[in-house]
Amino acid sequence: MQNKKAKILTVLFFLLPFLLTLASLSIGRFHVPPKDLARTIIQTISPSTGPRVPTAYQDILFRIRLPRLLLALMAGAALSLSGASLQALFKNPLVNEFILGISFGAAFGAALSLVFLGKNFPAQIAAFIFSLIAVLAVLLISGRSESHTISILLTGVIVSAFFQALLSLVEFFANPYALQSLFFWLLGSLSLATWKDLSISLPIMAVGIVALIMMRWRLNVLSLSDEEAKSMGVNVRRERLLVILFASLITAAATAVAGVIGWIGLIIPHLVRMMVGADNRKVIPLAAALGASALIIADDITRVAATFEIPIGILTSIIGIPFFIILLRRSRKVWL
Amino acid sequence: MAVSIDVRELSFGYKDFRLSIDCLRLETRKVTSIVGRNGAGKSTFLKCLAGVVPVSKQSLFLDGRDLASLRMAERAKLISYVPQEISLALDYRVLDLVLMGRAAFISPFSVPSWKDLRTAEEALRFVGLEGFETRNFSQLSSGERRLVLIARTLAQSAEILLLDEPTTFLDPKHEIEVMNLCRKLALDKGKTVIVTLHNLETAVNYSDTMVFMKKGKVVASGKPDEVLNSSLLEQVYDIRMTIVPHDGKKIIFR
Amino acid sequence: MSLRKKARTVLILFSLILTSGSMLRVLTGGAARRGIQGGMPSWSEGVGPCPAREREAGSEANVGRGKASQQITDSLGRKVVLPDKAEKVLSLQPEITRIVVALGAGERLVGVDYFILKNDHLFPIVFPEGRKLPAVSNTPEDMNFEMVMKLDPDIVFISPTELQMVDSLQSKMRRPVAALASMGSFDKLLQEIKLVGHMLGREERASELVDDFLSRIEAVRKSVSSVSPGKRPRVYLSFWGSLTRTPVTYEPVDSAGGINCAMGILPAYLGTIATVVSLEQIVIWQPDIFLVQGSYPPRERQVTVEDILLDKRFSSLPAIKNKKVFYTFGYWYWWDPAEVLTETLYLTRLFHPEVASPRSLETEGNEIFKKYYGIEDGFSLLCRVLDCGQWDAE
Repeated sequence: MQNKKAKILTVLFFLLPFLLTLASLSIGRFHVPPKDLARTIIQTISPSTGPRVPTAYQDILFRIRLPRLLLALMAGAALSLSGASLQALFKNPLVNEFILGISFGAAFGAALSLVFLGKNFPAQIAAFIFSLIAVLAVLLISGRSESHTISILLTGVIVSAFFQALLSLVEFFANPYALQSLFFWLLGSLSLATWKDLSISLPIMAVGIVALIMMRWRLNVLSLSDEEAKSMGVNVRRERLLVILFASLITAAATAVAGVIGWIGLIIPHLVRMMVGADNRKVIPLAAALGASALIIADDITRVAATFEIPIGILTSIIGIPFFIILLRRSRKVWL
Repeated sequence: MAVSIDVRELSFGYKDFRLSIDCLRLETRKVTSIVGRNGAGKSTFLKCLAGVVPVSKQSLFLDGRDLASLRMAERAKLISYVPQEISLALDYRVLDLVLMGRAAFISPFSVPSWKDLRTAEEALRFVGLEGFETRNFSQLSSGERRLVLIARTLAQSAEILLLDEPTTFLDPKHEIEVMNLCRKLALDKGKTVIVTLHNLETAVNYSDTMVFMKKGKVVASGKPDEVLNSSLLEQVYDIRMTIVPHDGKKIIFR
Repeated sequence: MSLRKKARTVLILFSLILTSGSMLRVLTGGAARRGIQGGMPSWSEGVGPCPAREREAGSEANVGRGKASQQITDSLGRKVVLPDKAEKVLSLQPEITRIVVALGAGERLVGVDYFILKNDHLFPIVFPEGRKLPAVSNTPEDMNFEMVMKLDPDIVFISPTELQMVDSLQSKMRRPVAALASMGSFDKLLQEIKLVGHMLGREERASELVDDFLSRIEAVRKSVSSVSPGKRPRVYLSFWGSLTRTPVTYEPVDSAGGINCAMGILPAYLGTIATVVSLEQIVIWQPDIFLVQGSYPPRERQVTVEDILLDKRFSSLPAIKNKKVFYTFGYWYWWDPAEVLTETLYLTRLFHPEVASPRSLETEGNEIFKKYYGIEDGFSLLCRVLDCGQWDAE
């Protein structure tokens, strides 16, 4: 009986992001009644069914809302999945998806591009490249040291700080208008997502998300000490690198297009572990589903709350932090 | 399938210590205990055998095969290892922990199969922890935790089980439980169990073979009845001890 | 006493003297120094030992200043006392720099800020000699006080947004520091011209410019007033290089008879100029005209008219359907008076061609620039720099 209930809940949880996406298509300041929503969708497939809906509906739904929702879905899944995997890997509940220097690497890349290259170069690509450079730097520097995990974390902090300094340097030389663009980019926004942006970043995120979900059981083993894992026949170094690679890839892809959206990768995994325990076989996929749902809901809020748009990075912080505090107080002991 | 372990010119060292074993053969399908003072190299030796610590080629042979040349997964299917202490980061359930022992049989991108699950459940049953599957590790006593770890190595289905100080921190009742389990593993399952022990009496009374180590070298090895005497003990432990037989067992007075 | 004890005593005495000295200074308020910023009742309205202002060489006839006030109130509400002389002007606020040049006092500038030297398109056109001026950073993090001291200005103009800096500069410098900015208001802009004119002794020139501005704006407003509110186009402004960033207030649009879609989104008391909206909101507004900030050099424009016309997300907007997507100058560290005046005329022609002046914009623009800066073809030059051929200006 318990098992059946668990199974139903699980299915519901995994359907949640997709249901939310569908529901969110009709949410927004531009009111599209559900009937017209259905009709617009049908008419995209077979244009001649029924009276034509205004072109504005199609623009709103498929050009403005849908790319945005898909980005929220994938980025939410990517960020929380990345956070959950890295937390297990580094055996540390404070680890988040940006710990390897990704956020500041991306910010620096975007800054370089916005300030020096202007329109000639899309900032997203520069952000993506530099966030991966940051991770690479971390891995190379922490290299062949004994206590690999600790040195990776420390190096991550240092490399982040370095890129932060470089970012400040670029900001210093930037004219006020590039500076403003950068400022808003850093706050995170899903609103300017175009299908073109998504066509590159979604497949990357998809690959990484699938890979990490496939490795969900392996993360249990990797969360043991090196000694234990090695004695069980696990090539610890290689597999750890694999997880870091995938986690970084999806975080970089999400950050490059959506900016720096914080707290998802920290709060969602904790919430999920609180609900289902430590077994990563359950935690990882659930984190992806819940992360996606959370970001979709956050985006819905930014779209509806007021005429102006609060950058989503601010919203996730404002809602996330108190929520996290509540979590901490009630959490059942998962971390030892 | 019986496997013989040959040690030939094994040498491993770090800053202040050097492990150096010229030639040693370990009995299979038996319980062998390695004893000696603190810092004699017992744990290090075990780690070399387990592959946790890198050793040079041509020093450890399993059934004639050079251990150093085996891939990690292959080696894990032959030798399993329980460290002295583990520090778990997350509070896993007992069954999930035992399942982790199946890592050598599962690719990084797969999840355990039914077979893996059954092997894990059986291992738990063998060590006497049936019913403990859904309990959280942190809720167990030290003795139970030790048994879970042994179950994990059992699930690994390796021929050779290396247990580093499995009875330390356990009360006498649990100590005997663990040693009896080791004997059961050797007898019923034909495993080769190698343990390092602090408690000389336990070693003497529960192992088939003993290996005495001092300062990184093997001083003596063989059946307890054959090799045990006061002068050996004095040499190994640097204090005088008296061995007194009692009721089929031996008691050692210091 | 041992040597250590002696040293300690000396140190204690020394620090006592220092602290008491500075306390004394604070108590007496240092009022003996000239030009110190007010709050000091002794320096108000024509009273005080300040000598009458000297006449600058080669300037216009000195307007009788005997009764003129000795202090002004800046944008932060601070009372700024006028210096005895205003020969050296340090302007860290680009809008004020432009006004100083327009007032014919450009040669008095001893220093400017980085923006006007590096990013302003108009400055090198209207004041080419300004290129040689030293630049002083105008942000709190990297303000170089020593540089300011070295330049030894009589007056410093600064942006009111840098609150901490204003007072610290004032206290460090003991020279008048005036925080002025139009903040997107024509009234404030004109008041600024008058204030700066007063501070520099160029009141007559200031009045001239203000009167000219007012008369032209009034003419525009009058011509537009005949258009019924229903016929005023809804205008969406995409400023600051982003589709979704828009100003909540843009007076040129209002004066030219358009309705800024984003007007009133934020409460007025905040005084915030910019806000971010969602793309959906733009579609809801259904603007008739879409204006893009064109002050960015063509290569650097993140948002271009072509991109918007091709952007399928906006295909339902009347602005796109009727191809009414244009560039406009927009805020470029607030305004240049000549530029914003010409912009308003341009917008009138865009919004209401039937009531706008039949004169060519280029001619009228050049006229304005000549009046303000004394250069020929100023507007044409600017248009060439910003590639205005793409604009709908004739």
